[in-house]
Amino acid sequence: MTSLNRRRRPARATTLLASVGLASLATTILPAFGADEPVKGGTLIYATDREPTCLDPHVDGDMPQVFIAQQYTDSLVSQDKDGKIGPWLAKSWTVSDDGKTYTFKLRDDVKFTNGEKFNAAALKANLDHIKNPATQSSTAGGYIQQYVKTETPDEFTAVVTLSKPYAAFLEVLAQGFLGIEAPSALARPRNENCETPVGTGPFKIIKWDRQSQIVLERNPDYNSAPPTAAHQGPAYLDQIIWKFIPEPSVRFASLASGDVDVIETVPPESEADAEKNPDLTLIIADRPGNPTNGAINTTRAPFDDIRVREAFVRSADISSALDSVFFGRYKRAPGPLSAATPFATPDFKNLYDYDPDRANALLDEAGWTEKDANGIRQKDGKPLTVHVPIGDFQGPAERSLWEQIQATAIGTGFDVQLEPLGFSEWLDRQATWNYDIIPEYWNTNTADVLRIVLSSEFLGAAGSGGYHQNASGFKNAEFDALVNKALETQDPEARRKLYYDAQKIVASNFLQVLTFPQSTRLGVYKTAKGVRLEPSLSVTTLYDAWVQK
Amino acid sequence: MSSVTVAAGPAAGLLSRSRIGSAGRRVLSRVLAAVLVLFASATVTFFALHLTPGDPVRAVLGGPTANPSPATIAATIAEFGLDQPPHVQYGLYMSRLASGNLGMSFSQRQPVIDVIAAQVGPTLQLMASAIVVAWVLALASVMATTRRHPLLQGLGSALETISAALPQFWLALVLLAIFAFGLRWFPPQGNQGALSLVLPTLALALPLAGFLAQVTRESLELALDQPFILSARTRGLSEGAVRWRHALRHAVLPGISLSAWAVGSLIGNAVLVEVIFSRQGLGRVLYQAVTRQDMPLTIGVTLLVTLVYILASAAADLLFVLVDPRLKAHRS
Repeated sequence: MTSLNRRRRPARATTLLASVGLASLATTILPAFGADEPVKGGTLIYATDREPTCLDPHVDGDMPQVFIAQQYTDSLVSQDKDGKIGPWLAKSWTVSDDGKTYTFKLRDDVKFTNGEKFNAAALKANLDHIKNPATQSSTAGGYIQQYVKTETPDEFTAVVTLSKPYAAFLEVLAQGFLGIEAPSALARPRNENCETPVGTGPFKIIKWDRQSQIVLERNPDYNSAPPTAAHQGPAYLDQIIWKFIPEPSVRFASLASGDVDVIETVPPESEADAEKNPDLTLIIADRPGNPTNGAINTTRAPFDDIRVREAFVRSADISSALDSVFFGRYKRAPGPLSAATPFATPDFKNLYDYDPDRANALLDEAGWTEKDANGIRQKDGKPLTVHVPIGDFQGPAERSLWEQIQATAIGTGFDVQLEPLGFSEWLDRQATWNYDIIPEYWNTNTADVLRIVLSSEFLGAAGSGGYHQNASGFKNAEFDALVNKALETQDPEARRKLYYDAQKIVASNFLQVLTFPQSTRLGVYKTAKGVRLEPSLSVTTLYDAWVQK
Repeated sequence: MSSVTVAAGPAAGLLSRSRIGSAGRRVLSRVLAAVLVLFASATVTFFALHLTPGDPVRAVLGGPTANPSPATIAATIAEFGLDQPPHVQYGLYMSRLASGNLGMSFSQRQPVIDVIAAQVGPTLQLMASAIVVAWVLALASVMATTRRHPLLQGLGSALETISAALPQFWLALVLLAIFAFGLRWFPPQGNQGALSLVLPTLALALPLAGFLAQVTRESLELALDQPFILSARTRGLSEGAVRWRHALRHAVLPGISLSAWAVGSLIGNAVLVEVIFSRQGLGRVLYQAVTRQDMPLTIGVTLLVTLVYILASAAADLLFVLVDPRLKAHRS
């Protein structure tokens, strides 16, 4: 669901004469501006809120890393806005019948910015690097745990073997987190490659001043743009200054004054101002994956009872909460998959609708019939208390949102206890299942996210030190079978059907309080043109961008 | 105050052999005390981090929305040495520290010494300019209004009380709104150039100036009541000379002590100011290190802050003697 909010047109002229005058004026001026022809050269200043801790997206794997990686790496395959996989550094590929062997034919004319050649050995080096435990890869590495080995029968053919069928493999390969880097650069110690990674992309990393900015320069030999790009050949910009401005009001003011050309994460309170300002344009797109939600802990009372889970979901007025916290700028998520995810369906949205009458009936039925002086329901002398740990890293908006949910849930007799915690303490509560609801989200470009956040495989493997991605503790054999079967077929229609059924099970088991889809929200000053969000994770790409200053 | 005589000694004239000896002993004991304080601060920080709930490996491997394989988790635990019992980790860390190795930051993925080297400059610059500006403002207010016209005195005193109560982050946002976004006199972010130092300095210096002025005003009032002031006046000295040459010497002493404490607290307050003004600096580094339970980086920055504090106390003691000759006489 990509929505491109163009700036508002100037006030409409009220008299015919004025319109005619304006129209003729416009025709005379337009050619002088050269329409919107890309201009080569210049520097674009981009300001974001969060700084990566490593510029190599294989290591760890947090969103700020993929934003910078998208500028200097190419991926093996591309993904368009309909979720279709296309070529990129791989020209073509075949998948074996058992779904475990992928044979890639690679481009033979691509070089890394250090002069090294891209070939099958380079692909092998990258997949091995991502899989290597010493890389400390938690996103890219997590997505290819099925990877076994790569063989290179000739220089530009790579045969990749997986331990089990994994139809989401091509999808995750299209993410910037699995961007392709130069083998000799990857061979250096991790801290060096974090500082100055090397890709085949349209820009190259020149310098990183921590807590200040990253400088990137154009790769003059770039010849490997994906089919989703608006042009081919080298990028237009000479240079990108990638600044870190954590304070939202400062970031927005810097954009409004033209000190920076593009900002990421436009503060919600400034979006209306941005739309009114003729110098600014907003580019907003949802990210694919599991939307922001409160995962409901089904492993302990009171939410081990599905009636109590449904009652909570029904007693939370999400739409009103979003309107008040985000000034009407954020819409409710349509289901367990954000609309930008392949195979997402909005068909089960009404299961998440606000319905306090139904919530009250369900709670009565579940035996929570007593009420104390404050209207909190009780059963066997125990109050209906819901503990919700909220990390300080989740930001004030998320906190306000849950305060709103708290306020509507008390109407049906839930005592929602919001517990603000520091990062590590919050992680500890998550790891030890010590919560009734915990706010979370998962950005990824495949419906396979359902398996990660809700299947029994992700309840915390041995040796995972408390890590569990399935925060609701949901354990359902039918659901597990569906999401695993969806990995065994490459047929899109078969996958659609399986994921449809899987989404139905998730929605009707009331496992998450769905709030809003994660999104990328750029503010663009009039000096910057051609700024885009790539389709796989809605990440900024400045390859097609140019500046007019 | 043992280092005081050493530094002030040469100015005092010839030094006897025994005085050099006792001075040497004082320096030695002061250095030993400093080493002990550094050792204690590293130890306390180490165990405090171990007692906080949570797990640095989870924090470094991406927290909630991450899916590291058990092999990756095991490799990371081993790399950080967290598979050892805490007392062994402590021993290893301390022995490395003794050889001058601050170790590798868990979360920043580079040597602690490099992280500190890249960020210490802007922080020290900000602290130094905040202290200087705070003193200038405090002295201006105190000297101009203490024991003057009651209205003037009331105004000075009220301004000092108000500025001492201003929260730094609020002040920072107000300064930004007026002077960066409104008047556009100063850049709203970054740490390039002298202009970018002005607003963050004021955000830190104004509340501190309020504190310094309050204590200085009180002691200036006391000093102005002393008999020696009366005698200076009877000798026909001008009001300016009485205040600046005689009374001020007495009045600044509590403020100097307070400044040493202020240096320590400025680092803490620098976190917010650095974030709001997007400045490089150790405050932000320390905040991130603590939230990620990044033991080597937290201890590294803590040690540096402790060292700055020790040096600031020494400098305060030195200033004491320079300002107040009675101390020098007392020592010898």
